[in-house]
Amino acid sequence: MMSTVPSELPVTAPIEHRFDPYVDNGGTLLSIAGKDFCVVAADTRLSEGYSIHTRYVPKSVKLSDKTVISMGGCYADCLTLTKRIQQNMEASLVAPMWYRHAHGKTMSTAAIAQMLSIMLYQKRFFPFYSWCILGGLDEEGRGAVYTYDPVGSYEREACRCAGSASSLIQPFLDNQINFKNQASERRELSLDQVLRITKDSFTSATERDIYTGDYLEIFVITSNGVELQKMGLKKD
Amino acid sequence: MADRYSFSLTTFSPSGKLVQIEYALNVVSQGVTSIGIKATNGIVIATEKKAVSTLIDDSSLEKVSVISKNIGMVYSGMGPDYRVLVNKARKAAQAYKRVYMEEPPTAILVKEIASVMQEFTQSGGVRPFGVSLLIAGFDESGPWLYQVDPSGSYWPWKATAIGKNMVNAKTFLEKRYNEEIELEDAIHTAILTLKEGFEGQMTENTIEIGVITGSPTVQEDGVVVLPEFRKLSPNEIKDYLANIA
Amino acid sequence: MEYNGGAVVAMVGKNCVAIACDKRLGVQAMTISTEFKKIFQATPKTYLGLPGLATDVQTLAEKFRFKINMYKLKEEREIEPRTLAHLVSSTLYERRFGPWFTEPVVAGLDKNNNPFICNTDTIGCINFAKDFVVSGTSTNQLYGMCESLWEPDLEPEDLFETISQALMNAVDRDCLAGWGAEVVVITPDKIITRTLKSRMD
Repeated sequence: MMSTVPSELPVTAPIEHRFDPYVDNGGTLLSIAGKDFCVVAADTRLSEGYSIHTRYVPKSVKLSDKTVISMGGCYADCLTLTKRIQQNMEASLVAPMWYRHAHGKTMSTAAIAQMLSIMLYQKRFFPFYSWCILGGLDEEGRGAVYTYDPVGSYEREACRCAGSASSLIQPFLDNQINFKNQASERRELSLDQVLRITKDSFTSATERDIYTGDYLEIFVITSNGVELQKMGLKKD
Repeated sequence: MADRYSFSLTTFSPSGKLVQIEYALNVVSQGVTSIGIKATNGIVIATEKKAVSTLIDDSSLEKVSVISKNIGMVYSGMGPDYRVLVNKARKAAQAYKRVYMEEPPTAILVKEIASVMQEFTQSGGVRPFGVSLLIAGFDESGPWLYQVDPSGSYWPWKATAIGKNMVNAKTFLEKRYNEEIELEDAIHTAILTLKEGFEGQMTENTIEIGVITGSPTVQEDGVVVLPEFRKLSPNEIKDYLANIA
Repeated sequence: MEYNGGAVVAMVGKNCVAIACDKRLGVQAMTISTEFKKIFQATPKTYLGLPGLATDVQTLAEKFRFKINMYKLKEEREIEPRTLAHLVSSTLYERRFGPWFTEPVVAGLDKNNNPFICNTDTIGCINFAKDFVVSGTSTNQLYGMCESLWEPDLEPEDLFETISQALMNAVDRDCLAGWGAEVVVITPDKIITRTLKSRMD
């Protein structure tokens, strides 16, 4: 028998090892800017695949009296990123100086927004798996919403929804907050109206998105500071 | 020559008749009588069940058949041919249900069976069925009683009879039938009509009766529930017979 | 579904139903036509929506036109929306292992003028909904819109406004759908068909 390969040689295939440190923990967050207020809301469910790890884990953190950060995606990355933002607000790694000690003041919303973008981009080739929305008041006291992709591209907007139910909620916000496809002129919404739209968004999303539910945490940022409201969502 | 090229049994005679079909009708007219009466609130179909020998165990003999939930059938003529048609009818009913998820209307099932019977008057290598059928069904358009003949022709009746005693029975029914007849009366009339030409003792074991009564109801989810066709048990028949005697 | 894009939605109102679709036909990201028909009249009071692969949409529309006409001739009556739903289901399941790439929607009034809507997956699994059904590439967006805009017992004009807003805002967040919309509201005594203009991007 003619054979070019000696049959005694064991045939070995290379074994692939893949490093995949990311998980999707679901969850939905949104932020809406008003004339002199800002609302940041997120559900509190933490899930992986078909199982719910925890029903109550806050996704939003108050960074200052004027700023709240909310994150969804890989919870471990979100935790780390939040912690590092808080550290940098005291001692900046971006600019090698301690912000508070260097400047003797708390970082403004716009400054945090710029810093967050840089922090995300610094990990351009091993990104944080996190969808960030930064909500707060700008230097003039107007509501501000900054939204990010995982590698630091960011934009200031009137409203934004991110996370697992973003595709369900965002068109609703376009319609109700930005008055898209409506004949009526765009008008400023009151805090009560914004809160109602926020709650409606989440109750609706909870009906159809399995990764959204349990509780809703709403941070209301005004010139008086940050107030936290909680509301129950469906637990199924 | 004519014999050699004649593949089909059912060919026209020079006078324009299909003699095979006429022969099949002869078979029917020799078969035991079957009755069908449509009442205002339902239908009854009935037939004699005659065993050729007293030694035969007739408890499992079945001449009135359930075709689908809301349709039943009886025949006069050849038993084996009938069973083939029952099989085909049941399959047709289930095939309809598989597509539309609802029971076939009586007229649709009748057309289906009739077209099978017609096919057997024209296809090669087969003979027509030696049976006439009475088909009783209740659908959304109400109660229907159809007759289907070996030729494949079919038509609806208010009341009719087929088989050996059909002429007398029909005359009898013409006298007894009225438009306002209710099912209980119709069952009595059916039994009385059968009794007219009955040979021997009429007992709960020598006749078969099938009835369908009620009205279609609509469930909360919009699904229509039709009345059910069912055969009367020997005990029920016994009660009817006791009332007549 | 994603090859040609498109969305269909149907809603129940008070003694009426509405069905709507976008008008885009694309080949992936490239828009080919903005006049592509996705909803078809099955009977005087029943419509069939077929979003999905355009070639299957048109083939199935013809197939169902044939089947519905044959039903009408055979049974001497119009097919009920519920019956049509089962006909659609069994037709799709015949291709269980090589499916038609469409998720049909049936919307109509039955012979007692009771509203009926449903949709199925590509192999004919029926979902009977009492409120609304969505289908096509914008399902997520439509679910979010319908879940928050829809309410029970809407009158025909309100139902029209609700379904139009739901569809337009949903398709505006879907690159593969939009470029105008068609809305049909079916009421016991008339059918209202309207064409909507929307964002062309």
